[in-house]
Amino acid sequence: MASPAALRELQRDLETKANDLSRIQKDIAKNHQVRKKYTIQLGENELVLKELDLLNEDANVYKLIGPVLVKQDLAEANANVRKRIEYMSAELKRLDTTLQDLEEKQNSKRDSILKLQQRIQSLQAGKSKA
Amino acid sequence: MEEAAKKGRVTPLASLFPVEEAQKAVRRVHETLSEKESELDRFRGFISDNTNLINLVQKLPEGLHHNIMVPFGKAAFFPGRLIHTNEFLVLLGEGYHVERTSKQTVEILKRRGKALQSQVESLKATMQDLKAEASFFGITASEAAEGLVEIREDYVEENFTERESQSGPPKEHPPSFSEADKVKVAVEDEEYSCMVSRLDELEKAEYEAGYGNETHEDIENVAVSDEEYARMMSRLDELEKEELEAEFVNERDEDNAKLAVNDEKYAHMIARLDEIEKEPETECGNERDEDEKIKADFDQSSDQISLDKINRFSEEYQSRKLLEQTKDKKSATEETLDKRDTQKDLTDRLNCTGLTVQSRPKEEMSHGKGLVHGIMKSTPLEKALVLPEVKENVQAASSLRSEAPLQDSKPGFDSRKAFTGSIIERAHNMQTSSSQQAATSSQSTVTQPSKPVSRFKMQRR
Repeated sequence: MASPAALRELQRDLETKANDLSRIQKDIAKNHQVRKKYTIQLGENELVLKELDLLNEDANVYKLIGPVLVKQDLAEANANVRKRIEYMSAELKRLDTTLQDLEEKQNSKRDSILKLQQRIQSLQAGKSKA
Repeated sequence: MEEAAKKGRVTPLASLFPVEEAQKAVRRVHETLSEKESELDRFRGFISDNTNLINLVQKLPEGLHHNIMVPFGKAAFFPGRLIHTNEFLVLLGEGYHVERTSKQTVEILKRRGKALQSQVESLKATMQDLKAEASFFGITASEAAEGLVEIREDYVEENFTERESQSGPPKEHPPSFSEADKVKVAVEDEEYSCMVSRLDELEKAEYEAGYGNETHEDIENVAVSDEEYARMMSRLDELEKEELEAEFVNERDEDNAKLAVNDEKYAHMIARLDEIEKEPETECGNERDEDEKIKADFDQSSDQISLDKINRFSEEYQSRKLLEQTKDKKSATEETLDKRDTQKDLTDRLNCTGLTVQSRPKEEMSHGKGLVHGIMKSTPLEKALVLPEVKENVQAASSLRSEAPLQDSKPGFDSRKAFTGSIIERAHNMQTSSSQQAATSSQSTVTQPSKPVSRFKMQRR
């Protein structure tokens, strides 16, 4: 019968689906990491902003760029920090949506794999009976 | 996993929470817990560093310059001098440094310290939750390992379903409470009915034993004694009290059933009443008076008179019962009775009672019947007996009881008193009912229900 061939096809399908699922899971993990980084940076920038707000107008602000400590204007530093914060929050939002998509894809893949497995099991059971 | 018989479901905890999985969960939670603990240690280190730095920053401005060993590379130092002791470049984050004085630096550091503390607090809370989770998992794992079983049984009306015991560890979970309650309720109902029937039988037997013949036709043959009369009077008193306690409606419901039977007898009673109405009437409008008279007659009367009185009393009792219980059926009779003098009504009632009593010596288990028997058998005026009987079922029990008190109490005087009291009370309670009804009910109220059975029955009704 075509059942062994069908069975092999099903198994191949299962393999491909399993690969997809693992890829999706990796993507999700990466997403998580990036999100974590961004979250930490965002927190730090907020702290910096707080401190900068507490400074007097005449205080010297230096920015460490590589090995060089460059003197910066307080207003400029404030602006930079704020921009960074906005950028990072936007990035985080984007990452969140991507994460959601990835999770949905993962769930659907899981379901399809389960179905495939069930079909294979039933086929195998039928074959063993016959 | 064994299935309980029929409706039960025996589910070992192991199936719900597999032992290995539970243990794995426990391990997982423990790991997370240890991770959190390490983070906590890190935080504690940060906090201590921060405090040290604060101290240093506070100490440095004490001197204009400090001689120090300056680190040079990885493994070298050279002597140097630390100047500008009040100027600090503080790293705010993201590569931003700011020049601050010692005091300002200390402020920054303190703020950092506060942030750290709040982080530590949140971490501690998380750890607490994890600990609770771990303990729960641990308990579940141990229980599952022991083979604890959860037994669920459907709520069944009739009997308990047998619970199959798991081989090995004993079951610890009780069956669903609803089923137990249901069974209890069913059992209680059955017990109740059994008890009621048993009580009736007992009462019947008591009547028979106490008064010999059971048939109303034997009234004439029954020898009336003062003792019996006293007994019956006391019994009547009890019945009256019972009646007072019981709801009229309840009694009426039961009485209605008996009323059908009573109606026939009532006709007989009326006829007899006419015959018996030869009794002299002492006072008008007073059942009590008539009772007194009857009692007086009874005391002096011969068997014949006593017999008549017994009949009258029984009739009265019956009539009272009928009157009280059935408004519809009795209304006609009552109305007719109302028209008569109270005495006449009393005699009528007595006659009715007597007739009723005679006609149904042992009807059911109604106390009245037993009482009627007692009345018939004993010559003493059983107004008390009659009163309770009117109450029927409740009365029956009370009649039995009243018989005992009858013996103890003075026959004529007590009954008279009882009669009086009951009349008055009834009048209040049953304003809508006919006067006779009120009288009878008042009479019945006087009797004290002594038998728990009657009360039981009364409550039932």
